[in-house]
Amino acid sequence: MNERKKARVRYCANNMERLTQRDRIFLNNPVMIQGLGLAPIVIAATTMKNATILAVAVILLLTPTRVIAALLTRGTYFRFRGLTYSLVAATLYIGVGWVCIALFGQDIQAVGLYLPLLVVEPIIIKRHERNQKEHVRTAFKKGIFTTIGFLLVLFFVAGARELMAFGTLYGKTVLTVIAVPVAQYASGGFIILGLLAALWRFATNAFKKNINIKMKKIEAEGQQK
Amino acid sequence: MTASTMVLKALGTFFLYAVVAMFAQNAVFSRALGVSRLVKMVDDPTIDTFIFGAMLTAVQLISTPLAWYANLLMAPLGSWRPLVRPLIFVLCSGIGFFVVLFFIATVLKQVDAKNAIAALPMATFNCSVLGTMLIAATQNFTLLQTMGFALGSSAGYVLAVMVATEAQRKLQSRAVPACFKGLPITLIYIGVLALAIYGFTGHMLAI
Repeated sequence: MNERKKARVRYCANNMERLTQRDRIFLNNPVMIQGLGLAPIVIAATTMKNATILAVAVILLLTPTRVIAALLTRGTYFRFRGLTYSLVAATLYIGVGWVCIALFGQDIQAVGLYLPLLVVEPIIIKRHERNQKEHVRTAFKKGIFTTIGFLLVLFFVAGARELMAFGTLYGKTVLTVIAVPVAQYASGGFIILGLLAALWRFATNAFKKNINIKMKKIEAEGQQK
Repeated sequence: MTASTMVLKALGTFFLYAVVAMFAQNAVFSRALGVSRLVKMVDDPTIDTFIFGAMLTAVQLISTPLAWYANLLMAPLGSWRPLVRPLIFVLCSGIGFFVVLFFIATVLKQVDAKNAIAALPMATFNCSVLGTMLIAATQNFTLLQTMGFALGSSAGYVLAVMVATEAQRKLQSRAVPACFKGLPITLIYIGVLALAIYGFTGHMLAI
């Protein structure tokens, strides 16, 4: 192992708790670890096309809501922040919905009420439950990374379900045999997401374990020298 | 039709929609509404399911008829109505939030009020509340149907929370592999229950 890799392992091992708290893509993914944004993924993310519609809405809604709400909640009572976050998201939704209609037309009906429901979805407004006020810069940074973490899982789950339930990917036939028709239903969505969440947790635990093993090796090498 | 027959028919409609919303179209098992909140609640011993359920039902019953009237008033908006609907419905939820908050602050004892006020924002700004309003609006329910659906929906949500909380004792067993504990096993458990409900209704709900 070269010195650069050793330094990276040392940094990860010494800051694992901080990294786990701050990372929004792998170690503390908003969907797989925190359990946020489950409703649209379980019900509406059955095809890649639906996932694209939801992705556009989340990109346009999540970070702006978080930033504007962080600004507006500076002077409000803690218990009223939920209302502020929801109202900001619902106001922005007028523009977001208009953009989605302009881009996808009648196809947005495929995601049904899960598009307007994003305005109270915990992945967008969950921050209001925390007592501490959020800085605008932090809200922007976390908003971007939470969006990336959500989109990663959204497309992964939608792709897997489309393949399993219809044998297609973005509408193009890939498999001639439909393996798991139940994947298109709510029950299939819950079970597939549960299995993927278990796999995700296994991967994050394996990553942490690997870092600890490498760190012990580095320490042992240091003691021998 | 006599007055008593009309009352009985209205009651029948109300309870039919309540029962349908509670079981066959359960907010959690059929539509995954408020499932993110549910998986957090089953892991969090500080949230009292009974208080949360009471808050959710109260807010739902106050805000849903307001949303029904607001939806009627929004008819002239035409194609803009689906875009403005979430904002108006969130405002209706906000009214429900303040009415319940006022009631808690004036009627309940200090300790009970503190717990109820802590649960109130979570119970108000919830996919289950807004989802019920949106379903009632898009499926053109009457006021009576809307009220029955709202009551059944909140009761169904509380039922789902109780079923998932009760299952936690078994789901935390040592036989469950470590990577499945918590969120993954809860989702699989809800999925199996959703499959049973799907078998009962025999069709997928329109989203």
